[in-house]
Amino acid sequence: MNSNPHEPTASGSASSPAEVTLRLIASLPAPEGLAERVQTALDAAPRRGRVLAWPRTLRPESGWMRSAAAAAIVLVVAGGGWGVYTRVQQNGPAKVIVMPARMPATGGFTGAGAIRTPLTLPGPKAPIKVSPAANPAQPRTAKKPVANQKPASGGTSQPDETAAGAPR
Amino acid sequence: MSTSQAIVAGIAGIAAEWMENPTSAMNDEARRRAEDHALAAMVDQYSSALYRVAYSVLRNQADAEDAVQEAFVRVLRHRDSLAEVRDHRVWLIRIVWNIVLDRKRRAKTRPETDDVAELARVLPSTGLSAEERAAAAQHHAHVLGCVDQLPAKEREVLMLSAFEELSSVEIASVLGISESSVRSRLFRARNLMASLLDHARNSGERSLR
Repeated sequence: MNSNPHEPTASGSASSPAEVTLRLIASLPAPEGLAERVQTALDAAPRRGRVLAWPRTLRPESGWMRSAAAAAIVLVVAGGGWGVYTRVQQNGPAKVIVMPARMPATGGFTGAGAIRTPLTLPGPKAPIKVSPAANPAQPRTAKKPVANQKPASGGTSQPDETAAGAPR
Repeated sequence: MSTSQAIVAGIAGIAAEWMENPTSAMNDEARRRAEDHALAAMVDQYSSALYRVAYSVLRNQADAEDAVQEAFVRVLRHRDSLAEVRDHRVWLIRIVWNIVLDRKRRAKTRPETDDVAELARVLPSTGLSAEERAAAAQHHAHVLGCVDQLPAKEREVLMLSAFEELSSVEIASVLGISESSVRSRLFRARNLMASLLDHARNSGERSLR
């Protein structure tokens, strides 16, 4: 272990068995020929593939790709708009659809032109009370004979006949 | 000039236009050679350090060598950005560190006997008898087993701190943390290791009684 920064006396066990063992292992020499074997492995490792270079006039640094992409976007948007424009019809005269006349079925029942009006259409009507004096057209009913009126003869009570002077 | 001659001349002109610029091709070739040369120099200079970092985690010679090769293959793939790297050594250690951690995570846990055998094979054995060498390997394997019990953050800092060539600033750079975090994690790792080893020692003594 290095002596500079680790403060070996911090825990009071600077040369503890653990550190002695770890130091022993850490100081083990590398096997012979390790560097050569690693170098051989690196030589055998697959290298990064080379990419074909762009021609000078078409190098991506010139920004032509960006321009081409912008032009392609504009072309697609304009083409789409034109396609929609040509497919949608202009404002022409409205088509009038003539409905065929209804022909009654032969041999069936018809309504004879009757139109049913719902009863609820005029609305409810309150009953009107009409007084007899106000309505002279209504015939007067026969009044009950007055109690103090005495019959002309007998004791029979037939006022109608007496009043009318019917023959006996 | 006949019509056919004019057509041939036109085609030749277009072909000449489409051909690659020779000056640019020469520049690319020279740049590629320079990159290969720089990479070869990096392999010579840092492969040993990268191997030791990889071995400290994987504890297997073949796996560590594979990790080093994979790290340099990754560098080869990203060699265009080599010029932007400020410290190649720390950058390479960071690459191999990520590789070995990933491999360690994916690999199944090996039995401790494998570690003992591997350590007995690779550890220096000068002046030691066969029995002492086996005992030392057993001891180191036991210590490494305790290291493996540490939390990942503390373990990583402790393992990287064992490399003499790495300062705490560089460890922080490898792990992507601040230097103060490195210090605090190292402090915790040492304390935890001490307690783990004490606990193992006490339990061993109790079993002997």
